Amino acid sequence: MKKKLFAAIDVGSFELAMKIFEISSQSGLKEIDHIRHRLDLGTESYKTGKLSYDRMEELCRVLKEYAGIMEAYKVTEYRTFGTSAIRELENTMIVLDRIKSRTGLDMSVLSNSEQRFLDYKSIAAKGEAFETIIQEKTAILDMGGGSIQVSLFDNGSLFATQNMNLGILRLHEQIKRISPRSGQIRGILDEVIHTRLNEFKKLYLKEKEYKNLIVVDDYISNIINRYQKGNEKKGFMSANAFMKKMENWENAGLKTMAKELDVPEENVLLYVIAGLLLKGILEITGAVQIWAPGVTLCDGIAYDYAEQNKLLKQSHDFEQDILSCARSTNRRYQGSRQRSEALESIALTIFDSTRKIHGMGARERLLLRIAALLYDCGKYISLSAVSECSYHIIMRTEIIGLSHLEREIVANVVKYNQTDFAYYEEIAKVGGIDREDYLKIAKLTAILRLACGLDRSHKKKFTSVKASLHENELWVQVEALESIEMEKGLFQENGMFFEEVYSIRPILKQKKTF
Amino acid sequence: MQKKKDFTRPEYFLNRELSWLAFNERILGEARDKSIPLFERIKFLSITASNLDEFFMVRVASLKDMVEAGYDKEDIAGMKPKEQLKRVSEATHALVNLQYSTYNRSLLPLLDQNGLHVVESHEDLNKEQKKYVDRYFEENVYPVLTPMAVDSSRPFPLIRNKSLNIGALLRKKGETQESEFATVQVPSVLNRIVEVPGEEGSRTIILLEEVIERNMPKLFLNYEVLCAHPFRIMRNADLSIDEDEAEDLLKEIERQVKKRQWGEAIRLEVEAGINKELLDIITHELEIEDEDIFKIKGPLDLTVLMKVYGLEGFTHLKNEPFVPVAVEEFAEEDSVFDAISKQDILMHHPYQSFEPVVDFIRQAARDKDVLAIKQTLYRVSGNSPIIAALAQAAENGKQVTVLVELKARFDEENNIVWARKLEKAGCHVIYGLVGLKTHSKITLVVRRESDGIRRYVHLATGNYNDATAKLYTDLGLFTCKEPVGEDATAVFNMLSGYSEPLNWNCLSLAPLWMKERFLFLIERETKNALAGQNGRIIAKMNSLCDRDVIVALYQASQAGVKIDLIVRGICCLRPGIPGISDNITVRSIVGNFLEHSRIYYFENGGEEEYYLSSADWMPRNLERRVEILFPVSEPALQKKVGEILDCQLRDTLKAQYLKPDGTYDKIDKRGKVLFGSQNYFMEEARKHARKNKKDAYDARVFIPEKKPEYGEEE
Repeated sequence: MKKKLFAAIDVGSFELAMKIFEISSQSGLKEIDHIRHRLDLGTESYKTGKLSYDRMEELCRVLKEYAGIMEAYKVTEYRTFGTSAIRELENTMIVLDRIKSRTGLDMSVLSNSEQRFLDYKSIAAKGEAFETIIQEKTAILDMGGGSIQVSLFDNGSLFATQNMNLGILRLHEQIKRISPRSGQIRGILDEVIHTRLNEFKKLYLKEKEYKNLIVVDDYISNIINRYQKGNEKKGFMSANAFMKKMENWENAGLKTMAKELDVPEENVLLYVIAGLLLKGILEITGAVQIWAPGVTLCDGIAYDYAEQNKLLKQSHDFEQDILSCARSTNRRYQGSRQRSEALESIALTIFDSTRKIHGMGARERLLLRIAALLYDCGKYISLSAVSECSYHIIMRTEIIGLSHLEREIVANVVKYNQTDFAYYEEIAKVGGIDREDYLKIAKLTAILRLACGLDRSHKKKFTSVKASLHENELWVQVEALESIEMEKGLFQENGMFFEEVYSIRPILKQKKTF
Repeated sequence: MQKKKDFTRPEYFLNRELSWLAFNERILGEARDKSIPLFERIKFLSITASNLDEFFMVRVASLKDMVEAGYDKEDIAGMKPKEQLKRVSEATHALVNLQYSTYNRSLLPLLDQNGLHVVESHEDLNKEQKKYVDRYFEENVYPVLTPMAVDSSRPFPLIRNKSLNIGALLRKKGETQESEFATVQVPSVLNRIVEVPGEEGSRTIILLEEVIERNMPKLFLNYEVLCAHPFRIMRNADLSIDEDEAEDLLKEIERQVKKRQWGEAIRLEVEAGINKELLDIITHELEIEDEDIFKIKGPLDLTVLMKVYGLEGFTHLKNEPFVPVAVEEFAEEDSVFDAISKQDILMHHPYQSFEPVVDFIRQAARDKDVLAIKQTLYRVSGNSPIIAALAQAAENGKQVTVLVELKARFDEENNIVWARKLEKAGCHVIYGLVGLKTHSKITLVVRRESDGIRRYVHLATGNYNDATAKLYTDLGLFTCKEPVGEDATAVFNMLSGYSEPLNWNCLSLAPLWMKERFLFLIERETKNALAGQNGRIIAKMNSLCDRDVIVALYQASQAGVKIDLIVRGICCLRPGIPGISDNITVRSIVGNFLEHSRIYYFENGGEEEYYLSSADWMPRNLERRVEILFPVSEPALQKKVGEILDCQLRDTLKAQYLKPDGTYDKIDKRGKVLFGSQNYFMEEARKHARKNKKDAYDARVFIPEKKPEYGEEE
C-alpha cells in the first residue's frame, strides 16, 4: 500500500508555510517538503482589520502555487489553517470565501488555544523524546508574533497554560514606536517582559523547580542549531551556555550579532527580543536545559490529522492534559477536588448508561467531565451569580486542546446547570453555536443537572452509583448509608429537564446497605 | 611574539587578466607542439583566437569602462585599471604575434607538405584558379554583398561587431580628385573557405575575402579601386558589465554609462601591409587608439581554422575520435531508477557516456510513478534531447520545473527560444533569478514508489549539454540518498522564490553559504596541521582568483598544510613564495579535452572528504551565482575521485607548473616516462568497455530483447 500523503498549510502572520508529509504507522510522520514564503499579513490585519488588495493577491497567488505543488505530489488530503492575522480580520468569512474560490483550498481559522494545542501536538509528534522530557518538570514556551504561550508540565501531563501579549513582533512594534536609543532597548524590553512574567509567576510558580524548557519559535531554534556543542543532542542546549551567548552579543553589539547569525540587520532585534523572553522564562522557572525541537505548526496539523484518522499510534494522552488543566483551574478557584470528582463520576455513569439515547461520543464525554470539574467555579467571585461568573471564568480561561466552540459548550453547560435553560433562539445569539451544538448543550446540561441533584448536599453520601435503562425509565441505583430524602426530592426536580430532553424519566432507587 | 603575517600584500598575487593571457598562451603552446597531429594544432590555434575575441569583448571592455569611469581601485595584485590595460595590451600584441608566427612559420608549410595548399593572396592563384574564383564570385558571392561608399552625402556606415570587412580607397574613373572610402562586409552566411581546383593529389583553398578583394572593381563600376584591405573591429557594445567586477564599480559605471559612446570600438585588426591613408580613415572614424590597432601578418580572425579542421578527409592528421564508453552501472538495468537505487553512481565525462543523464530525463518523462522533474539549465546544445524529454514529461502530466538561465554569456537568444518551447509544452519555466546567475547543475526527479516518495538527484560539475559533454571533462553523480534528496527539494524551493530551508543536510549553496564552507574546510586543515596532524588539500578547478580563499590557502600553507592545486585557467595565487606559499603547487592541464570538473579534497585528519562543485574559487562563483557544492560520500566513489586527482597530479605530458613569477613551465621530460592523464582515462575507459563486452560474450547465454516500450504512460 502506498503511504498516505498529506499537506499542512499554515497561513501565519508573517509567513505562508506548507509541509508535505508521508504518513504511515511504521515510520510515523515523514516530512517530504517544506515550502515557505514570507508574507506579512499581520501588520495590516492587526492595524486595519482588513487585507489590502495587493496582500490578498499575493496570498491567493502563493496559495494557488501551493495547491499546484500538492497536486504535483498527488496529495489528496490537506488542512489549511489561518492563525492570528486571519483571526483578527473583520471580514474573515469573506477572505476565506475568496481564498476558496481563487485557489480551491478550504481554509479554516484556528483560535489561539487551538493553535497552541497544535503547536504543542507538533512537539508531541516528536514522540519518545517528548515523553521522556516531560517526566521531569517542564515548561513550554511557544513564541508567536502576537503573543507567547507558556505551558507547564508535571508528572507527564500539562497542568497550566497561559497566553500573554508578549509576542515578539508586538514587542518589536512597541519598541519601534518609542524609538529609544539603541543602548536603552534592552533595558526597556527587560522591564516590560519582567513585569508580565512576574505576574505569571505569582499565579503559577512557587519555586524555581523546573528542569526543562521546550521552545517553539523561529529564532531561538536557529541560534541553538547554530551554536549547540557537538556532544549535545540535536536541538538541546544548556541554559548557561545560552545565557552566555546572549551576554556576549550584548557586549558585541547588534551588528556583530547580525553577522554571526547571518541575518539581515533589521531583523536582529527580533532575535534580541526572543532572547530576552527566553531569559525571563529561564529566570522564573529555573530551567537548566533548553530544547528547541524545531517543529512548526504544520507538524502539529499533520499530527492532529494523522491521529484523528488513526494513521498513527497516539504517543501522548492529550485528554489527560485537558483534564489536568481543568482540575488545576478548579483548584485555582478554590473548588473542592473531592466534590467535583464525585460529580464527575456520577455524571459519567449517567452518560455511559444512556449512550444509546443521546448518541454522543468520546469528545462530548470529555466536555461533560470538564463541565463537571468546573461546575461551580464562579462561586469564587460571587455566591449569588455563580452560573454567570462560572460562564465567564470558563470563557476566559485557556483550556488548551479545546476549540473555541467546545469551550463555549462547556461554559454554557455549566451556566445552564444552575439557571433556567435558555432555548435555541436565545443561545444562538452567541456567535458560532448552531443547532447541533445547541442540542449538545441541552443534552449535556440535562445529564449534569441530574448528577448535581444526586450530590446536592455535597456530603458524598453514596458509596456507589449505578444507572441502567428500563424502557422509558432511567433507573439510578445508589447505595447509601444515610437517608437520601433530600436527594430524592431534588432528583425529581432536576430530572424534569432530563425528561424534557430525552423523553426518559429518571428514577432514583436506593439500595440500602446495612 | 612574531608579528602576524599580512598575506594580502599585492605582491603575493597575480593579475587575473595576465594570468588569463598566460592560459591562452598555454593553449597556443599546444598549437606549437610538434608531437600533436597537425589538424589538432590548427584547432588549438583557432581556439586561442576565439578565446581572445571573448577576452576583448568581456574583460578588456570592462577595463576600458573602468578607466573611462575614472575607477581607480587597485586589483588584487595592486594594479590600477590603467596599468592593467597597458600590460594587457602589451601581452595581447605579443600573443597575436606568436599566433601568426605559429601559423605562418609552422602550420602553413606543414599543411602544404600534407596536401592542403592555402593560397594566401589572390594574386598567387594560377590562371585556371582565377577563372574559377571569379565565376564563384559572380554566382555565389556578388548577390549577397552590400558595398557601401562614404562621401559627403553618405555617412560612415556601422561596422558590425566582430564582422570581417574589406575597406577600399576609390577614385572616380578619369578624375584626379581625392580618393573616397568604401567598405563591404565579408558575408558571414558564406563559407569563408573556398576550395579551388589544384594540383593532383592535393587540395587547394583560398579565403573568401581574397576572392572578394580580387573582384572589388566589380562592386564599384565607375570607380578605380586604389587599394583594398580586410579589417575587423571589436566593440564594447551591448554587453552588460562583467559580473566579475565589484559592486561599487557597477554603480559607478551605471552612472557613467550614459556618457559613454554606445558601441565604441575597442580593437581594430588590419592587414599588416594596409595602405596608410585607408588606415587613417578607419582609425579616425572609429576613434580608436594606436595601442588598440593590431596589424596582422596573415588572415584576420583565425577562428576560420576551425572550419579548416572540419574539412573532410585528413583523418590521419587528426586524433582518432574518442567514443565515450557506456556507464557500467546502468548497463545491467533497464531502469535508471533501479540502478541508482542500488548505489550512488559517479560518471566521468567525456570518458564515460553522457547518455545516462539523457536517459534519466527520458525515463522519468515516461515513468508512471514519477511525479515531478526539476532541473536547472545553463547552456544546452542546439537540438537538445534533454529539452525534448522535458517537454515530453510535461505533456505526460508530470510537474516539470525548469530554471533557464537567460544570463548565460552569449547564449541569451538561444536560451529564450527553447525556454518558450518548454513553456508551450506545459513546463513551469523560471527565467533565472534577479541579480544572480544560476550556474548550478542539478536535476531532481520525484517518484512515488511502493514504500513512499523517493527522490533521485543528479548533481554535476558541467552543464546539461550533450554536445559539450563529449569535449569537457566533468563529473556527475546520481544518488537517491535521502539527505541529498531533501536538500535538492530545498534548492528548487529556493529557486522558485520560496524561503531558504531551516537547515541543509549536505549541500552548500552559493552565494549564501558556500564561501564560508570552503573557508571553514581550509581552516580546518590549518588547525589540524597546527595541532601536529597531517594537513592536505587537493583542489581542481578552472580558475582561482578569490582573495579570501587565497589568503586562507597561504595561511594553511604556513601552518604546514600541503596543498596541490590543479587550475586550468586563471590563477591569481602565486605558489612557492618563501614564507608565504612554499607548500603550494599549482599546475594547469591543457589537453585535447577541456578540463572542466571542480574537485575539492580535504584530508580532515584522516576522515577524508571529497567534494564536487559547479563553482570555481572565484568571487563571481562564490558571491554572485547560485552554485552547489556536494560531497561524494560513498567510499568506493571517493576512491574513484581520488584516483582522478592522483592521475592529474602525476601528469607529465600536459601539465604545466606555475612558477612564482607567474609564468608556466612544462616539466623537464628527460629520462622520464611520460604520463598523460587524459590519455590514461581514455585507455582505462576503453579497457573497461572491452572487458564488459568480453564478459557479456563469456556468459554464453543469449539474452532475448525486451518488448519495445510503447504507450507506457497510463
